[in-house]
Amino acid sequence: MILHPAVIANLLASYIASFMVVYAAYYGAQILRRWDIQSGAELQLVLERKTYLISTLLTYVFGLQLLSLFLYVFTADTLCPLFVGAMCAAGTLNVNGFGYPTLVLKMVNFLLAGLWLVLNHADNQGYDYPLIKKKYLLLAFIAPFIILETILESAYFLDMQADVITSCCGSLFSSERVTGLGSEIASLPAKPMIWVFYIAMSITLACGVFFYRKGKGGYLYAALSVLMFVISLVSIVSFISLYIYELPTHHCPFCIIMQEYHYIGYLLYILLFGAVVSGIGIGALIPFRQVESLHSMLSGFIGKLALASVVLYAAFTVLVTYEIISSNLVMTYEVAS
Amino acid sequence: MIELVNVKKVFNAGNPSEFSALNSVNLHIGENKVTVLRGPSGSGKTTLLSIIGCMSRPTAGRVRLGGREISSLPERFLTDIRRKTFGFIFQQPNLIKGISVLENVMLPAYPLGEPRSRLREKAMQGLAELNISTKAASKVEWLSGGEAQRASIVRALINKPTIIIADEPTAHLDTKLSQRFMEIIEKFKAEGKTVIITSHDPLVCDSKMVDRVINLRDGRIEGEPS
Repeated sequence: MILHPAVIANLLASYIASFMVVYAAYYGAQILRRWDIQSGAELQLVLERKTYLISTLLTYVFGLQLLSLFLYVFTADTLCPLFVGAMCAAGTLNVNGFGYPTLVLKMVNFLLAGLWLVLNHADNQGYDYPLIKKKYLLLAFIAPFIILETILESAYFLDMQADVITSCCGSLFSSERVTGLGSEIASLPAKPMIWVFYIAMSITLACGVFFYRKGKGGYLYAALSVLMFVISLVSIVSFISLYIYELPTHHCPFCIIMQEYHYIGYLLYILLFGAVVSGIGIGALIPFRQVESLHSMLSGFIGKLALASVVLYAAFTVLVTYEIISSNLVMTYEVAS
Repeated sequence: MIELVNVKKVFNAGNPSEFSALNSVNLHIGENKVTVLRGPSGSGKTTLLSIIGCMSRPTAGRVRLGGREISSLPERFLTDIRRKTFGFIFQQPNLIKGISVLENVMLPAYPLGEPRSRLREKAMQGLAELNISTKAASKVEWLSGGEAQRASIVRALINKPTIIIADEPTAHLDTKLSQRFMEIIEKFKAEGKTVIITSHDPLVCDSKMVDRVINLRDGRIEGEPS
Protein backbone atom coordinates (compact mmCIF):
# COMPACT_ATOMS: atom_id res chain seq x y z
CA MET A 1 0.00 0.00 0.00
CA ILE A 2 1.15 3.55 -0.68
CA LEU A 3 0.40 5.84 2.23
CA HIS A 4 -0.73 8.88 0.35
CA PRO A 5 -3.38 11.28 1.75
CA ALA A 6 -5.56 10.80 -1.34
CA VAL A 7 -5.41 6.99 -0.98
CA ILE A 8 -6.41 7.24 2.69
CA ALA A 9 -9.25 9.63 1.76
CA ASN A 10 -10.50 7.19 -0.90
CA LEU A 11 -10.42 4.21 1.42
CA LEU A 12 -12.05 6.10 4.29
CA ALA A 13 -14.81 7.38 2.02
CA SER A 14 -15.38 3.88 0.73
CA TYR A 15 -15.48 2.26 4.19
CA ILE A 16 -17.83 4.94 5.53
CA ALA A 17 -20.14 4.54 2.52
CA SER A 18 -20.18 0.74 2.85
CA PHE A 19 -20.82 0.82 6.59
CA MET A 20 -23.65 3.31 6.24
CA VAL A 21 -25.21 1.47 3.31
CA VAL A 22 -25.14 -1.85 5.21
CA TYR A 23 -26.73 -0.14 8.23
CA ALA A 24 -29.38 1.45 6.01
CA ALA A 25 -29.99 -1.78 4.08
CA TYR A 26 -30.63 -3.61 7.37
CA TYR A 27 -33.44 -1.20 8.27
CA GLY A 28 -34.46 -1.08 4.61
CA ALA A 29 -35.06 -4.84 4.72
CA GLN A 30 -37.29 -4.36 7.79
CA ILE A 31 -39.21 -1.65 5.95
CA LEU A 32 -39.65 -3.91 2.92
CA ARG A 33 -40.99 -6.75 5.09
CA ARG A 34 -42.97 -4.94 7.79
CA TRP A 35 -44.06 -1.55 6.42
CA ASP A 36 -47.81 -0.96 6.69
CA ILE A 37 -48.87 2.68 6.67
CA GLN A 38 -52.41 1.74 7.78
CA SER A 39 -51.13 0.22 10.99
CA GLY A 40 -50.67 2.15 14.22
CA ALA A 41 -48.43 -0.55 15.68
CA GLU A 42 -45.32 0.47 17.59
CA LEU A 43 -43.02 -1.12 15.01
CA GLN A 44 -44.62 0.83 12.18
CA LEU A 45 -44.12 4.12 14.05
CA VAL A 46 -40.51 3.17 14.79
CA LEU A 47 -39.96 2.48 11.08
CA GLU A 48 -41.55 5.83 10.17
CA ARG A 49 -39.09 7.60 12.47
CA LYS A 50 -36.16 5.47 11.27
CA THR A 51 -36.79 6.25 7.65
CA TYR A 52 -36.02 9.95 8.30
CA LEU A 53 -32.65 9.02 9.74
CA ILE A 54 -31.87 6.50 7.02
CA SER A 55 -32.88 8.65 4.07
CA THR A 56 -30.98 11.66 5.47
CA LEU A 57 -27.95 9.50 6.08
CA LEU A 58 -28.12 7.93 2.62
CA THR A 59 -28.47 11.32 0.98
CA TYR A 60 -25.05 12.25 2.36
CA VAL A 61 -23.56 8.81 1.68
CA PHE A 62 -24.69 8.79 -1.94
CA GLY A 63 -23.56 12.41 -2.30
CA LEU A 64 -20.16 11.17 -1.14
CA GLN A 65 -20.47 8.26 -3.59
CA LEU A 66 -20.94 10.72 -6.48
CA LEU A 67 -17.86 12.66 -5.43
CA SER A 68 -15.81 9.50 -4.88
CA LEU A 69 -15.74 8.74 -8.63
CA PHE A 70 -13.89 12.00 -9.26
CA LEU A 71 -11.73 11.57 -6.16
CA TYR A 72 -10.73 8.12 -7.38
CA VAL A 73 -9.70 9.40 -10.82
CA PHE A 74 -7.97 12.40 -9.24
CA THR A 75 -6.03 10.03 -6.94
CA ALA A 76 -4.99 7.79 -9.81
CA ASP A 77 -3.83 10.88 -11.68
CA THR A 78 -1.94 12.22 -8.64
CA LEU A 79 -0.12 8.91 -8.05
CA CYS A 80 1.11 8.43 -11.61
CA PRO A 81 4.64 9.85 -10.99
CA LEU A 82 5.21 6.98 -8.53
CA PHE A 83 4.94 4.24 -11.16
CA VAL A 84 7.38 3.60 -13.95
CA GLY A 85 5.57 3.85 -17.25
CA ALA A 86 2.49 5.68 -15.96
CA MET A 87 1.92 9.08 -17.55
CA CYS A 88 -1.59 9.71 -16.19
CA ALA A 89 -4.43 7.96 -14.33
CA ALA A 90 -4.63 5.36 -17.14
CA GLY A 91 -1.26 3.91 -16.15
CA THR A 92 -1.90 4.09 -12.40
CA LEU A 93 -5.19 2.21 -12.81
CA ASN A 94 -3.27 -0.50 -14.63
CA VAL A 95 -0.70 -1.19 -11.86
CA ASN A 96 -2.76 -4.21 -10.81
CA GLY A 97 -5.88 -6.04 -11.88
CA PHE A 98 -8.28 -4.12 -9.61
CA GLY A 99 -7.89 -0.53 -10.86
CA TYR A 100 -10.17 -0.63 -13.91
CA PRO A 101 -12.84 -2.93 -12.41
CA THR A 102 -13.09 -0.47 -9.50
CA LEU A 103 -13.46 2.42 -11.93
CA VAL A 104 -16.24 0.63 -13.82
CA LEU A 105 -18.03 -0.13 -10.53
CA LYS A 106 -17.67 3.48 -9.43
CA MET A 107 -19.29 4.61 -12.66
CA VAL A 108 -22.14 2.11 -12.25
CA ASN A 109 -22.57 3.09 -8.61
CA PHE A 110 -22.58 6.77 -9.57
CA LEU A 111 -25.59 6.14 -11.79
CA LEU A 112 -27.35 3.96 -9.20
CA ALA A 113 -26.67 6.41 -6.37
CA GLY A 114 -27.91 9.29 -8.52
CA LEU A 115 -31.06 7.34 -9.33
CA TRP A 116 -31.64 6.62 -5.63
CA LEU A 117 -31.26 10.33 -4.81
CA VAL A 118 -33.85 11.19 -7.48
CA LEU A 119 -36.29 8.58 -6.09
CA ASN A 120 -35.68 9.75 -2.53
CA HIS A 121 -36.31 13.37 -3.43
CA ALA A 122 -39.60 12.42 -5.12
CA ASP A 123 -40.61 10.23 -2.16
CA ASN A 124 -39.97 13.08 0.28
CA GLN A 125 -42.49 15.23 -1.58
CA GLY A 126 -45.38 12.86 -0.83
CA TYR A 127 -47.17 12.88 2.52
CA ASP A 128 -47.67 9.10 2.62
CA TYR A 129 -44.16 7.81 1.73
CA PRO A 130 -45.38 6.82 -1.77
CA LEU A 131 -42.08 5.41 -3.06
CA ILE A 132 -40.70 4.03 0.18
CA LYS A 133 -40.68 0.37 -0.82
CA LYS A 134 -39.30 1.16 -4.27
CA LYS A 135 -36.40 3.17 -2.92
CA TYR A 136 -35.47 0.55 -0.34
CA LEU A 137 -35.73 -2.15 -2.99
CA LEU A 138 -33.30 -0.10 -5.06
CA LEU A 139 -31.08 0.26 -1.99
CA ALA A 140 -31.09 -3.54 -1.54
CA PHE A 141 -29.97 -3.78 -5.18
CA ILE A 142 -27.27 -1.09 -4.79
CA ALA A 143 -25.78 -2.30 -1.48
CA PRO A 144 -23.92 -5.35 -2.92
CA PHE A 145 -22.39 -3.15 -5.62
CA ILE A 146 -21.17 -0.63 -3.05
CA ILE A 147 -19.66 -3.41 -0.93
CA LEU A 148 -18.04 -5.01 -3.98
CA GLU A 149 -16.63 -1.62 -4.92
CA THR A 150 -15.12 -1.26 -1.45
CA ILE A 151 -13.55 -4.72 -1.68
CA LEU A 152 -12.09 -4.04 -5.12
CA GLU A 153 -10.95 -0.54 -4.17
CA SER A 154 -9.25 -1.90 -1.05
CA ALA A 155 -7.58 -4.62 -3.09
CA TYR A 156 -6.45 -2.03 -5.62
CA PHE A 157 -4.94 0.42 -3.16
CA LEU A 158 -3.58 -2.19 -0.71
CA ASP A 159 -1.99 -4.20 -3.50
CA MET A 160 -0.23 -1.20 -5.07
CA GLN A 161 3.47 -1.96 -5.49
CA ALA A 162 5.78 0.92 -6.32
CA ASP A 163 8.19 -1.31 -8.27
CA VAL A 164 5.60 -2.30 -10.84
CA ILE A 165 6.26 -1.21 -14.40
CA THR A 166 2.92 -0.24 -15.87
CA SER A 167 1.67 0.78 -19.30
CA CYS A 168 1.21 4.37 -20.36
CA CYS A 169 -2.04 5.70 -21.82
CA GLY A 170 -0.44 5.89 -25.26
CA SER A 171 -0.24 2.12 -25.17
CA LEU A 172 -3.59 1.40 -23.46
CA PHE A 173 -5.62 3.67 -25.75
CA SER A 174 -3.74 3.16 -28.97
CA SER A 175 -5.39 2.68 -32.32
CA GLU A 176 -2.40 0.56 -33.31
CA ARG A 177 -2.91 -2.06 -30.59
CA VAL A 178 -5.08 -4.96 -31.50
CA THR A 179 -6.51 -5.98 -28.11
CA GLY A 180 -8.33 -4.24 -25.26
CA LEU A 181 -11.54 -2.22 -25.10
CA GLY A 182 -9.62 1.09 -24.96
CA SER A 183 -7.75 0.29 -28.14
CA GLU A 184 -10.84 -0.96 -29.89
CA ILE A 185 -12.65 2.30 -29.13
CA ALA A 186 -9.57 4.29 -30.13
CA SER A 187 -9.54 2.38 -33.41
CA LEU A 188 -13.00 3.61 -34.34
CA PRO A 189 -12.72 5.95 -37.33
CA ALA A 190 -12.80 9.50 -35.97
CA LYS A 191 -14.68 11.28 -38.73
CA PRO A 192 -17.72 8.95 -38.83
CA MET A 193 -17.76 9.06 -35.03
CA ILE A 194 -18.07 12.86 -35.20
CA TRP A 195 -21.17 12.42 -37.36
CA VAL A 196 -22.55 9.73 -35.07
CA PHE A 197 -22.00 11.96 -32.04
CA TYR A 198 -23.63 15.08 -33.48
CA ILE A 199 -26.56 13.26 -35.08
CA ALA A 200 -27.25 11.22 -31.93
CA MET A 201 -26.93 14.33 -29.75
CA SER A 202 -29.29 16.31 -32.00
CA ILE A 203 -31.92 13.56 -31.79
CA THR A 204 -31.46 13.27 -28.01
CA LEU A 205 -31.74 17.03 -27.44
CA ALA A 206 -34.75 17.30 -29.77
CA CYS A 207 -36.46 14.46 -27.92
CA GLY A 208 -35.59 16.06 -24.57
CA VAL A 209 -37.00 19.45 -25.57
CA PHE A 210 -40.12 17.76 -26.98
CA PHE A 211 -40.65 15.88 -23.71
CA TYR A 212 -40.03 19.04 -21.65
CA ARG A 213 -42.58 21.02 -23.64
CA LYS A 214 -45.22 18.38 -24.43
CA GLY A 215 -44.71 15.85 -21.63
CA LYS A 216 -44.60 12.98 -24.14
CA GLY A 217 -41.80 10.56 -24.99
CA GLY A 218 -40.27 10.39 -21.51
CA TYR A 219 -39.21 6.75 -21.73
CA LEU A 220 -37.68 7.37 -25.14
CA TYR A 221 -35.68 10.30 -23.78
CA ALA A 222 -34.52 8.24 -20.79
CA ALA A 223 -33.30 5.48 -23.13
CA LEU A 224 -31.69 8.01 -25.48
CA SER A 225 -29.90 9.71 -22.58
CA VAL A 226 -28.29 6.37 -21.62
CA LEU A 227 -27.37 5.69 -25.25
CA MET A 228 -25.99 9.23 -25.58
CA PHE A 229 -23.93 8.73 -22.44
CA VAL A 230 -22.26 5.66 -23.97
CA ILE A 231 -21.77 7.39 -27.34
CA SER A 232 -20.24 10.42 -25.58
CA LEU A 233 -17.77 8.27 -23.61
CA VAL A 234 -16.79 6.48 -26.83
CA SER A 235 -16.53 9.85 -28.60
CA ILE A 236 -14.17 11.19 -25.95
CA VAL A 237 -11.76 8.33 -26.66
CA SER A 238 -12.41 8.28 -30.39
CA PHE A 239 -12.16 11.94 -31.45
CA ILE A 240 -12.79 14.54 -28.72
CA SER A 241 -9.48 13.74 -27.01
CA LEU A 242 -7.62 14.16 -30.32
CA TYR A 243 -8.82 17.76 -30.63
CA ILE A 244 -8.03 18.57 -27.00
CA TYR A 245 -4.48 17.13 -27.24
CA GLU A 246 -4.06 18.38 -30.81
CA LEU A 247 -2.50 15.01 -31.59
CA PRO A 248 -4.06 12.64 -34.14
CA THR A 249 -2.91 9.51 -32.29
CA HIS A 250 -3.48 10.30 -28.59
CA HIS A 251 -6.85 8.92 -27.44
CA CYS A 252 -6.46 8.89 -23.64
CA PRO A 253 -9.66 9.74 -21.73
CA PHE A 254 -7.65 10.52 -18.57
CA CYS A 255 -4.99 13.04 -19.70
CA ILE A 256 -7.81 15.57 -20.24
CA ILE A 257 -8.24 15.87 -16.47
CA MET A 258 -4.66 17.14 -16.11
CA GLN A 259 -3.60 20.71 -15.46
CA GLU A 260 -2.00 20.97 -18.94
CA TYR A 261 -5.47 20.73 -20.42
CA HIS A 262 -7.03 23.08 -17.85
CA TYR A 263 -8.78 20.17 -16.09
CA ILE A 264 -11.32 20.23 -18.93
CA GLY A 265 -11.96 16.52 -18.48
CA TYR A 266 -13.55 17.02 -15.06
CA LEU A 267 -16.02 19.48 -16.54
CA LEU A 268 -16.82 17.17 -19.47
CA TYR A 269 -17.41 14.18 -17.19
CA ILE A 270 -19.46 16.16 -14.64
CA LEU A 271 -21.75 17.39 -17.43
CA LEU A 272 -22.06 13.91 -18.89
CA PHE A 273 -22.77 12.09 -15.64
CA GLY A 274 -25.17 14.80 -14.48
CA ALA A 275 -27.06 14.59 -17.78
CA VAL A 276 -27.46 10.81 -17.72
CA VAL A 277 -28.53 10.66 -14.06
CA SER A 278 -31.20 13.30 -14.73
CA GLY A 279 -32.23 11.43 -17.87
CA ILE A 280 -32.66 8.01 -16.27
CA GLY A 281 -34.37 9.70 -13.32
CA ILE A 282 -37.15 10.71 -15.72
CA GLY A 283 -37.69 7.11 -16.80
CA ALA A 284 -37.70 5.96 -13.18
CA LEU A 285 -40.32 8.50 -12.08
CA ILE A 286 -42.78 8.44 -14.99
CA PRO A 287 -44.65 5.32 -13.71
CA PHE A 288 -45.49 7.18 -10.49
CA ARG A 289 -47.08 10.27 -12.03
CA GLN A 290 -50.55 9.02 -11.16
CA VAL A 291 -49.79 8.36 -7.48
CA GLU A 292 -52.25 10.61 -5.62
CA SER A 293 -49.85 12.18 -3.16
CA LEU A 294 -47.29 12.90 -5.91
CA HIS A 295 -49.74 13.94 -8.58
CA SER A 296 -49.41 17.69 -8.03
CA MET A 297 -45.63 17.86 -7.87
CA LEU A 298 -44.13 14.97 -9.82
CA SER A 299 -44.76 16.39 -13.28
CA GLY A 300 -42.94 19.56 -12.23
CA PHE A 301 -40.01 17.60 -10.82
CA ILE A 302 -39.77 15.39 -13.93
CA GLY A 303 -39.83 18.57 -16.03
CA LYS A 304 -36.93 19.99 -14.02
CA LEU A 305 -34.98 16.76 -14.50
CA ALA A 306 -35.63 16.89 -18.25
CA LEU A 307 -34.51 20.51 -18.38
CA ALA A 308 -31.38 19.71 -16.35
CA SER A 309 -30.53 16.75 -18.56
CA VAL A 310 -31.04 18.69 -21.80
CA VAL A 311 -29.07 21.70 -20.54
CA LEU A 312 -26.19 19.49 -19.35
CA TYR A 313 -26.03 17.57 -22.65
CA ALA A 314 -26.24 20.84 -24.57
CA ALA A 315 -23.44 22.32 -22.44
CA PHE A 316 -21.37 19.18 -23.07
CA THR A 317 -21.93 19.57 -26.82
CA VAL A 318 -21.06 23.28 -26.76
CA LEU A 319 -17.87 22.53 -24.84
CA VAL A 320 -16.88 19.73 -27.23
CA THR A 321 -17.64 21.95 -30.23
CA TYR A 322 -15.59 24.77 -28.75
CA GLU A 323 -12.66 22.40 -28.23
CA ILE A 324 -12.93 21.18 -31.81
CA ILE A 325 -13.19 24.69 -33.29
CA SER A 326 -10.40 26.18 -31.16
CA SER A 327 -8.07 23.20 -31.69
CA ASN A 328 -5.07 23.44 -34.02
CA LEU A 329 -5.72 19.87 -35.13
CA VAL A 330 -7.23 19.65 -38.58
CA MET A 331 -8.37 16.21 -39.67
CA THR A 332 -8.32 16.37 -43.44
CA TYR A 333 -7.63 12.67 -43.73
CA GLU A 334 -8.92 9.61 -41.93
CA VAL A 335 -7.05 8.86 -38.70
CA ALA A 336 -5.32 5.50 -38.95
CA SER A 337 -7.58 2.65 -38.01
CA MET B 1 -62.76 16.44 14.15
CA ILE B 2 -59.87 15.04 16.16
CA GLU B 3 -59.70 11.31 16.73
CA LEU B 4 -57.11 9.35 18.69
CA VAL B 5 -56.96 5.58 18.29
CA ASN B 6 -55.00 3.46 20.79
CA VAL B 7 -52.47 6.21 21.38
CA LYS B 8 -49.51 5.31 23.59
CA LYS B 9 -46.56 7.44 24.55
CA VAL B 10 -43.52 5.96 26.25
CA PHE B 11 -40.51 8.05 27.24
CA ASN B 12 -37.02 6.52 27.50
CA ALA B 13 -38.25 3.20 26.10
CA GLY B 14 -35.95 0.32 26.93
CA ASN B 15 -34.12 2.25 29.65
CA PRO B 16 -34.46 1.73 33.40
CA SER B 17 -36.12 5.16 33.48
CA GLU B 18 -38.83 4.07 31.00
CA PHE B 19 -42.07 5.91 31.66
CA SER B 20 -45.40 5.31 30.02
CA ALA B 21 -47.17 8.68 29.89
CA LEU B 22 -50.18 7.56 27.83
CA ASN B 23 -51.69 4.07 27.66
CA SER B 24 -54.04 3.19 24.81
CA VAL B 25 -55.98 6.44 24.76
CA ASN B 26 -59.04 6.49 22.50
CA LEU B 27 -60.68 9.85 22.15
CA HIS B 28 -62.91 11.86 19.85
CA ILE B 29 -63.01 15.65 20.11
CA GLY B 30 -65.83 17.39 18.28
CA GLU B 31 -65.60 20.50 16.11
CA ASN B 32 -66.47 23.88 17.64
CA LYS B 33 -66.43 22.46 21.17
CA VAL B 34 -64.51 23.51 24.24
CA THR B 35 -62.87 20.42 25.73
CA VAL B 36 -60.94 20.37 28.99
CA LEU B 37 -58.38 17.68 29.84
CA ARG B 38 -58.33 17.45 33.62
CA GLY B 39 -56.07 15.42 35.84
CA PRO B 40 -53.34 15.55 38.46
CA SER B 41 -49.71 16.24 37.65
CA GLY B 42 -48.20 13.35 35.69
CA SER B 43 -51.56 12.14 34.42
CA GLY B 44 -50.55 12.72 30.77
CA LYS B 45 -52.51 15.93 30.02
CA THR B 46 -49.67 17.86 28.45
CA THR B 47 -48.35 14.79 26.60
CA LEU B 48 -51.79 14.21 25.11
CA LEU B 49 -52.07 17.87 24.17
CA SER B 50 -48.66 17.86 22.50
CA ILE B 51 -49.61 14.79 20.43
CA ILE B 52 -52.94 16.36 19.40
CA GLY B 53 -51.09 19.55 18.45
CA CYS B 54 -48.51 17.64 16.32
CA MET B 55 -45.70 18.75 18.62
CA SER B 56 -44.72 15.17 19.39
CA ARG B 57 -45.43 11.77 17.91
CA PRO B 58 -47.10 8.85 19.65
CA THR B 59 -45.10 5.68 20.35
CA ALA B 60 -48.03 3.69 18.97
CA GLY B 61 -51.52 4.49 17.71
CA ARG B 62 -52.87 6.94 15.20
CA VAL B 63 -54.21 10.49 15.27
CA ARG B 64 -56.72 11.76 12.70
CA LEU B 65 -57.55 15.37 12.06
CA GLY B 66 -60.68 16.06 10.03
CA GLY B 67 -60.58 12.45 8.81
CA ARG B 68 -56.96 12.72 7.66
CA GLU B 69 -54.39 10.54 9.37
CA ILE B 70 -51.65 12.91 10.59
CA SER B 71 -49.43 10.92 12.97
CA SER B 72 -47.55 9.26 10.10
CA LEU B 73 -46.91 12.48 8.20
CA PRO B 74 -43.32 13.47 7.44
CA GLU B 75 -42.10 16.36 9.56
CA ARG B 76 -42.38 19.09 6.94
CA PHE B 77 -46.07 18.31 6.40
CA LEU B 78 -46.62 18.38 10.16
CA THR B 79 -44.98 21.80 10.35
CA ASP B 80 -47.46 23.07 7.81
CA ILE B 81 -50.43 21.63 9.72
CA ARG B 82 -49.10 23.00 13.01
CA ARG B 83 -48.68 26.43 11.51
CA LYS B 84 -52.07 26.68 9.82
CA THR B 85 -54.37 24.60 12.02
CA PHE B 86 -53.24 25.08 15.61
CA GLY B 87 -52.79 28.10 17.82
CA PHE B 88 -50.80 27.38 20.97
CA ILE B 89 -51.21 29.13 24.31
CA PHE B 90 -48.75 27.97 26.92
CA GLN B 91 -48.63 28.11 30.70
CA GLN B 92 -45.97 30.81 30.43
CA PRO B 93 -46.48 33.46 27.73
CA ASN B 94 -43.10 32.47 26.16
CA LEU B 95 -42.73 35.84 24.45
CA ILE B 96 -39.32 36.67 23.02
CA LYS B 97 -37.55 39.31 25.03
CA GLY B 98 -35.78 42.23 23.37
CA ILE B 99 -38.35 42.73 20.62
CA SER B 100 -41.68 44.50 20.67
CA VAL B 101 -45.09 43.02 21.38
CA LEU B 102 -46.06 43.60 17.74
CA GLU B 103 -42.99 41.73 16.45
CA ASN B 104 -43.73 38.85 18.82
CA VAL B 105 -47.28 38.62 17.56
CA MET B 106 -46.27 38.68 13.89
CA LEU B 107 -43.45 36.15 14.26
CA PRO B 108 -45.40 32.88 13.60
CA ALA B 109 -46.78 34.33 10.35
CA TYR B 110 -43.40 35.18 8.79
CA PRO B 111 -42.86 31.73 7.17
CA LEU B 112 -46.16 32.08 5.29
CA GLY B 113 -44.83 35.09 3.38
CA GLU B 114 -47.79 37.39 3.85
CA PRO B 115 -47.01 41.02 2.94
CA ARG B 116 -45.72 42.81 6.02
CA SER B 117 -48.20 45.69 5.80
CA ARG B 118 -51.17 43.32 5.78
CA LEU B 119 -49.65 41.24 8.55
CA ARG B 120 -49.08 44.32 10.67
CA GLU B 121 -52.67 45.38 10.16
CA LYS B 122 -53.88 41.93 11.20
CA ALA B 123 -51.65 41.91 14.30
CA MET B 124 -52.80 45.39 15.33
CA GLN B 125 -56.43 44.33 14.91
CA GLY B 126 -55.80 41.30 17.14
CA LEU B 127 -54.11 43.43 19.79
CA ALA B 128 -57.00 45.90 19.67
CA GLU B 129 -59.54 43.11 20.17
CA LEU B 130 -57.81 42.16 23.41
CA ASN B 131 -57.30 45.78 24.46
CA ILE B 132 -53.52 45.89 24.31
CA SER B 133 -52.98 47.81 21.07
CA THR B 134 -51.41 50.63 23.09
CA LYS B 135 -48.64 48.21 24.07
CA ALA B 136 -47.80 47.20 20.48
CA ALA B 137 -44.51 49.07 20.37
CA SER B 138 -43.53 48.16 23.96
CA LYS B 139 -40.91 45.61 24.70
CA VAL B 140 -42.38 42.46 26.23
CA GLU B 141 -40.32 42.89 29.41
CA TRP B 142 -42.47 45.89 30.26
CA LEU B 143 -45.79 43.99 30.19
CA SER B 144 -47.75 42.85 33.21
CA GLY B 145 -48.64 39.13 33.55
CA GLY B 146 -52.13 39.63 32.12
CA GLU B 147 -50.89 41.74 29.22
CA ALA B 148 -48.22 39.15 28.38
CA GLN B 149 -50.85 36.42 28.44
CA ARG B 150 -53.11 38.38 26.09
CA ALA B 151 -50.16 39.11 23.76
CA SER B 152 -49.45 35.37 23.61
CA ILE B 153 -53.13 34.75 22.75
CA VAL B 154 -52.97 37.26 19.88
CA ARG B 155 -49.80 35.52 18.69
CA ALA B 156 -51.59 32.15 18.78
CA LEU B 157 -54.35 33.58 16.58
CA ILE B 158 -52.22 35.37 14.01
CA ASN B 159 -52.45 32.51 11.44
CA LYS B 160 -56.21 32.18 12.02
CA PRO B 161 -56.07 28.61 13.37
CA THR B 162 -59.22 26.51 13.62
CA ILE B 163 -58.06 24.78 16.79
CA ILE B 164 -56.77 26.55 19.90
CA ILE B 165 -54.67 24.52 22.29
CA ALA B 166 -54.04 25.93 25.73
CA ASP B 167 -51.80 24.21 28.29
CA GLU B 168 -52.65 25.27 31.88
CA PRO B 169 -53.41 28.81 30.69
CA THR B 170 -54.65 30.11 34.04
CA ALA B 171 -51.90 28.59 36.19
CA HIS B 172 -50.16 31.94 36.64
CA LEU B 173 -53.20 34.20 36.49
CA ASP B 174 -55.25 35.59 39.37
CA THR B 175 -59.02 35.06 39.49
CA LYS B 176 -59.90 38.25 37.63
CA LEU B 177 -57.45 37.53 34.78
CA SER B 178 -58.57 33.88 34.67
CA GLN B 179 -62.18 35.02 34.23
CA ARG B 180 -61.05 37.41 31.52
CA PHE B 181 -59.25 34.50 29.81
CA MET B 182 -62.43 32.40 29.87
CA GLU B 183 -64.35 35.28 28.31
CA ILE B 184 -61.83 35.21 25.46
CA ILE B 185 -62.35 31.45 25.13
CA GLU B 186 -66.10 32.01 24.89
CA LYS B 187 -65.42 34.42 22.06
CA PHE B 188 -63.35 31.79 20.23
CA LYS B 189 -66.20 29.33 20.58
CA ALA B 190 -68.63 31.87 19.17
CA GLU B 191 -66.31 32.29 16.19
CA GLY B 192 -66.52 28.54 15.50
CA LYS B 193 -63.11 27.54 16.79
CA THR B 194 -62.37 24.28 18.57
CA VAL B 195 -60.66 24.76 21.92
CA ILE B 196 -58.73 22.16 23.91
CA ILE B 197 -57.49 23.15 27.36
CA THR B 198 -55.53 21.24 29.97
CA SER B 199 -56.32 22.45 33.44
CA HIS B 200 -57.23 21.43 36.95
CA ASP B 201 -58.40 24.93 37.78
CA PRO B 202 -62.12 24.70 38.84
CA LEU B 203 -62.67 28.11 37.28
CA VAL B 204 -61.88 26.55 33.91
CA CYS B 205 -63.30 23.03 34.41
CA ASP B 206 -66.60 24.21 35.89
CA SER B 207 -67.13 27.02 33.40
CA LYS B 208 -70.50 26.91 31.63
CA MET B 209 -68.96 27.29 28.17
CA VAL B 210 -66.98 24.04 28.54
CA ASP B 211 -68.69 21.28 26.55
CA ARG B 212 -66.74 18.32 27.85
CA VAL B 213 -64.33 17.53 30.65
CA ILE B 214 -62.11 14.49 30.14
CA ASN B 215 -60.50 13.14 33.30
CA LEU B 216 -57.06 11.64 32.92
CA ARG B 217 -55.20 9.54 35.46
CA ASP B 218 -52.03 7.51 35.03
CA GLY B 219 -52.08 8.03 31.29
CA ARG B 220 -55.61 6.73 30.83
CA ILE B 221 -59.01 8.33 30.38
CA GLU B 222 -61.01 7.61 33.51
CA GLY B 223 -63.95 5.35 32.87
CA GLU B 224 -62.25 3.64 29.93
CA PRO B 225 -61.42 -0.05 30.36
CA SER B 226 -57.70 -0.57 31.04
